[in-house]
Amino acid sequence: MFKREEFVVDGVKTVMHSAGSGEPVVFFHGAGTIDGFDFAAPWTDRFRVIAPYHPGFGESGDDPSFTDLHDYVMHYLELFDLLKLDTFNLVGLSLGGYLAAKFASEHGHRVKKLALIGPAGIIDPQHPMRDVLVIPGDQIPGLLTSNFEVIKKRLPEKPDLDFIGDRYRESGTVARLLWEHPADPKFMRYLHRLKMPVLIVWGEEDKLIPVQQAATWRKLVPHADIRTYPRAGHLVHLEQPDAAAAIAKFLS
Amino acid sequence: MAQEQLRFNCMHFMPYAHLPENHKDYKSVWVNFSNKNYDPHKGHALYQRYLAELVLADKLGYDAVVVNEHHNTVYSMMATPNLIAAALVPQTKRTRICVWGTPPNLMLPNRLAEEYAILDVMSNGRLEVAFPLGTGMEYWANPVSPATARDKFRESLKIILQAWTADGPTTHYGNHYTYRFLNPWPRPMQRPHPPCYIVGTGSPETIDIAAEYGFGYCSVFVPQERAHELNNNLRKRAQDFGHTIRPEQLPILTFVYVAESEELARAEYLPHLQAFFQDYVRTTPQYLAPPGYLSVDQLKIRAAGADKMHGGFDFDLISKAFFIAVGTPDKVAGQLARWAEWMGSSHINAVMHVADMPHWKTVKNLTLFAEEVIPRLRKDAPQQIAAE
Repeated sequence: MFKREEFVVDGVKTVMHSAGSGEPVVFFHGAGTIDGFDFAAPWTDRFRVIAPYHPGFGESGDDPSFTDLHDYVMHYLELFDLLKLDTFNLVGLSLGGYLAAKFASEHGHRVKKLALIGPAGIIDPQHPMRDVLVIPGDQIPGLLTSNFEVIKKRLPEKPDLDFIGDRYRESGTVARLLWEHPADPKFMRYLHRLKMPVLIVWGEEDKLIPVQQAATWRKLVPHADIRTYPRAGHLVHLEQPDAAAAIAKFLS
Repeated sequence: MAQEQLRFNCMHFMPYAHLPENHKDYKSVWVNFSNKNYDPHKGHALYQRYLAELVLADKLGYDAVVVNEHHNTVYSMMATPNLIAAALVPQTKRTRICVWGTPPNLMLPNRLAEEYAILDVMSNGRLEVAFPLGTGMEYWANPVSPATARDKFRESLKIILQAWTADGPTTHYGNHYTYRFLNPWPRPMQRPHPPCYIVGTGSPETIDIAAEYGFGYCSVFVPQERAHELNNNLRKRAQDFGHTIRPEQLPILTFVYVAESEELARAEYLPHLQAFFQDYVRTTPQYLAPPGYLSVDQLKIRAAGADKMHGGFDFDLISKAFFIAVGTPDKVAGQLARWAEWMGSSHINAVMHVADMPHWKTVKNLTLFAEEVIPRLRKDAPQQIAAE
């Protein structure tokens, strides 16, 4: 149902999947891409869902000069100009949530509503995010969900070199951004600039970014609607359809 | 082509040779292998011993002694090899001192240029250096990104060479470093700078750096055929930059053990070589290839191929794959001569101690090699090389 389109954005091949019609909803994926975009299929009866692959991930090309999350903010300003998207709803997952919140703190007038799913970016020494760069690749899928079956069907049944290569490429992209500076202390400082409606959903059994970090979001973005879901891990939108539905309702 | 006068180095890894009894329980003796397993008193004794072995190499007439750098591991006690080199300077007289070497992107480039210059001046121009990118394991131990390592490596190298060759002060404004007064004292003794090599496992980017600068190149832990191909690639590629690579610029990393008979050589050496391959280089695929360290193509090649290096041991397989010469002086001399001819090299970089090899075997190996192998291979020595 999603239509694949390819753009060249400031020299970088950028692949975007989109479907539906109505108010645009842009989805920023996280530090990996095995979870896919199909969770957003039910949204397409009300929204035009736009799901690009970030440079260095999935079907998009590489740009080794991207060494900072802000390079991605600039990339998306260019893509949205190309798409003539002036204002839109923005949804971000994990690292994509960090990016979405950063984008919205800098360009708030373009983001009507902001929804974050288990967002990264918070420095919380009491409840630190797991350092994904130090976790062996074969152990990461087991940390994504509470119920392994949810992610298992998206993994190859037998060892698959292309799959291993794709994951290595994406972790290399993450390393360019986060190896030397896993966290940016300035990010939290500017979150008060999020003036649009904000929804944050979080799995209560998130094994990568502890749900306790929601308390920091509540402090920094007091008007945010924060909902947590039991029996759900980092990919709460896949494990609990209620969470995905809550995002759609919030955006309506 | 007539063989040039061969050159012989004695290389030492200086391992911490006291693995705990349960060390096989650990998937890696690198990166996360706890330093609680390091006993400084045993370490002291090993430093004393290893330095004495390299000093003996000088007395026995080896052309060079070679040290290198690794972090967080039993494999090497030379996290900062310039300290080892500095200890060797006043204890050695004639031999060249090779630091092969510190990854230039793991250290402030001016500081590395300074340390190498100090060593060169102190040793009266006996220093040679190599610039490795460093194994994947070094990036888990240092606060430097493996994903931008190659870019930083290139910039560091440029700064070091500028510091050595241009009259200071100069400036450098780059992506990673800014120097407003690049003017390190002292300057190296050797002009324009100490002989330089690139060390690597053969990525085209690394070959290109050696070609561009006209540096030597030493491939490490790549199969013989691949090492041969890399030397050819470098010679061809260097021509594009107007450089001719000389045979002495292509050291061959060899493992050598010499004894009175083939049987004795194997009996005395193989347990240690086995320990080296099974225990001292044992680490995980993750530590070998941190994110962004390899290209995706390289990662897939490595993931597909059985790893001959890290963890297994089959002597016949390993001695065919790598340059490993074990046996009588005749046999070892014959192998080295053939390899040198085939590789277009006149430079044997021989690892004379591995793993938990005791001092007496190391001394025996060093002595027999110096007195029985080297003379068989010098142009001015009587030709005693056994027929193949």
